[in-house]
Amino acid sequence: MAPATAFIVGLTIFTAVLIGVLVARPGITATRGGKILAFAALFFLPLFCGAMGVSSKMAQSETTEFCLSCHTMADYGKSLYIDDPNHLPAAHFQNHRVPPQEACYTCHADYALFGTLKVKLGGLRHVYVYYLGTPPAPQDIKLYEPFNNRECLHCHLGARSFEEGVVHTADPATLPAIKANKLSCMSSGCHEVVHDIAHLKDAKFWKEPN
Amino acid sequence: MPANQLEKRLQIAGTLLIAGLLIEALCMLWKSPLAFIFFVAIGGLLLGVGVAVYLVSLVSSAKNPG
Repeated sequence: MAPATAFIVGLTIFTAVLIGVLVARPGITATRGGKILAFAALFFLPLFCGAMGVSSKMAQSETTEFCLSCHTMADYGKSLYIDDPNHLPAAHFQNHRVPPQEACYTCHADYALFGTLKVKLGGLRHVYVYYLGTPPAPQDIKLYEPFNNRECLHCHLGARSFEEGVVHTADPATLPAIKANKLSCMSSGCHEVVHDIAHLKDAKFWKEPN
Repeated sequence: MPANQLEKRLQIAGTLLIAGLLIEALCMLWKSPLAFIFFVAIGGLLLGVGVAVYLVSLVSSAKNPG
């Protein structure tokens, strides 16, 4: 268990025990000290524990492990290990261009205002479909809307490899079109190989060193 | 408000809060996506209601002292 999680769980249980004392002996709230204790135990500490728990759970929901905990996503997780530098997610994951422990979220976050809220609501919908609906087959999963270059440019904008790349600068119209999201980074002939789960069985995989 | 009525409300608030906190503690140890839903929907609801009952009991006792 992570130290932060252990601390939150410990504080939560401590608060519950403190409240238990108040429930068993409510008479102690008659004194000034008892009133202060009651305020801390019945108001401040539960809200503090709740806020810390939400913050921790939100962070946990951004991990690769969390995304891949749904069986439907298993093939997408495997595709991160394809041994092919042209396979975009695999190259990003294996070379730590994205933090490997938050690989899914880093690319699939919406880097716009309220983007986090939007993706979290999308995540709630995924949970609903997974447990109460009919989850689609992995190969049938589609993005809600075409991948926005904004998510790539969040990191690549201003980078020399992007701004001065041979292909990117061959035509003066290319870079402005990419930056305006008029030419997708994943266009045919560009970085088009993304989560190619249809050909997983033929793929060669990279083995992560221990 | 009579002292025993105030105490009774504090006990109700406390019981709700204990239930909410225990659910939240369990959800913290569980890593499934469902844990997040339970944490917010059930744990958060119990905490919210518990705190509300406590605050209402405080306001009621201030309005009707003794």
